[in-house]
Amino acid sequence: MRVVVDPDLCEGNRKCELAAPEVFRVGEDELARVLIERPPEELRAKVEQAARLCPRQAIRLFED
Amino acid sequence: MTQATLHPSEIRLDDPAIFEEGRAHEVFRILRREAPVHWTPETENVKGFWSLTKYEDIVHVSRNPQIFSSERGITSFEPKEPDLNDVGTRLYGKMIITMDPPRHVRMRRLVNKGFTPRAVAAWEPHIREITNHILDGIAKKGEADFVTEVAALLPLAVICEIMGVPREDWEKMFQYTNQVLGGGDPEFQTDVPEELRGTPEGARQQINLGTAKMFQYFATKLAEHRAQPKEDLVQVLLESEVDGQKLTDEDILWFCFLLILAGNETTRNAIAGGLLALLEHPEEKQKILDNPGIMPIATEEIVRWTSPVLHMARVAKEDVEIRGVTIRKGERVVMWYPSANRDEDIFPDPYRFDVTRQPNDHIAFGIGEHYCLGANFARLEIRVMFEELFRRFPDIELAGPPARLRSTFIGGIKHLPVRFTPEA
Ligand code: HEM
Ligand code: SF4
Repeated sequence: MRVVVDPDLCEGNRKCELAAPEVFRVGEDELARVLIERPPEELRAKVEQAARLCPRQAIRLFED
Repeated sequence: MTQATLHPSEIRLDDPAIFEEGRAHEVFRILRREAPVHWTPETENVKGFWSLTKYEDIVHVSRNPQIFSSERGITSFEPKEPDLNDVGTRLYGKMIITMDPPRHVRMRRLVNKGFTPRAVAAWEPHIREITNHILDGIAKKGEADFVTEVAALLPLAVICEIMGVPREDWEKMFQYTNQVLGGGDPEFQTDVPEELRGTPEGARQQINLGTAKMFQYFATKLAEHRAQPKEDLVQVLLESEVDGQKLTDEDILWFCFLLILAGNETTRNAIAGGLLALLEHPEEKQKILDNPGIMPIATEEIVRWTSPVLHMARVAKEDVEIRGVTIRKGERVVMWYPSANRDEDIFPDPYRFDVTRQPNDHIAFGIGEHYCLGANFARLEIRVMFEELFRRFPDIELAGPPARLRSTFIGGIKHLPVRFTPEA
């Protein structure tokens, strides 16, 4: 799985960081960074949770 | 009563009495179970609409703005023959809340830096000061109308400060907001002839008049800001560009109109409805008195429980199916937030008001493209209000029944009599 955050949508609400701290970090600029672009399978549930909870729906998941 | 056996076909979600009389949750419970995609048929002058009451369906629609458009208005109400002079029609496509991508995100980005968690956190000391100033106003009386004397004043003050509206004009903004968003309630139809009050025509006229006054007010502001630049959101908008183009005055006026309305009526009702819930559930109030540190979590439950925005609507841009029901291109789809936030499939024990509820993934602020811009302000205002209110008046109690707003759009409380031990 590949994880992308759309910087146009993200507004630093940090739900992603709370759900999957291994994968997301919100920076000083209040934009979420993806720490692991292709997270291992064991993080899948957490990443999907982050994508589901993101208030702006800024997290895109690709299966490529 | 035989309400429990109400059939979905007998339910009309354009009937404000359902909300005014506090029957909405009973109705939503039936719809979620029996008709989660429900049709309210047209009337003589107004089109019919679909209602969604399940959490997952509402998330799905919110997530797909390319299919479910906001451009043609975000309320359930669509006249068959729209009058182009009515605000309800004129606002199509004009404000971020009635814009679709890609323009939506470009406009939203002009202002969103002022609404992020960090930007909003910087306002906390000031919001606490305003809150205490408001509470000073009732402290010696021992009784108050909690809505008009407390709950309404904080969001009003905050949005006015963000927008650079000076204190002497706050009362005016309060009236205009009531007239636009509460325009369907006879209590606020003060500008229309007596015989029209309480009628659809009365509502139409009052909403148009309230809007005209708001626009006139901000048009004067724009002129002032051009003559002498200030440090507020109006100035930010004046200096903004989208694709190398300055915003037009009309763009800016609609932005101001939206912010004042959205910033006011909603948070007011979360605070008023929150107090009502806490006083009706004394054991929950006690938890906050014992440990004010739970207020951030309690705030989420207050917002879930009250869900002050009752609905937002979308228009289908193509034929689509939801739960096997075909929605035709051009039809209106209405998302009922109070219902999503009591959905048995998402929230364990959804009818329990629990100030320690976690997780609490309510969608009272919407989700996705149009996720509430002011959510962080709303949260901060609610938290600070209850921290200060319970610190100063821990024995506050109801002194009479609440009066609810007659509206299918805003879940409002107009009056809430309370009493408490006055401060010396
Ligand atoms: C408890 C209080 C509040 C609630 C329940 C609430 C609810 C909502 C909801 C449900 C939406 C989504 C609209 C949609 O999907 O079509 C929204 C949008 C919006 N809200 Fe709030 N709101 C609250 C407070 C505020 C405050 C305090 C402000 C301003 C300071 C504000 C400004 C806005 C704006 C500008 C939008 C439009 C965003 C867009 O279209 O991109 N709201 N709000
Ligand atoms: S939850 Fe969404 S909006 Fe919030 S920081 Fe993460 S990606 Fe950005």
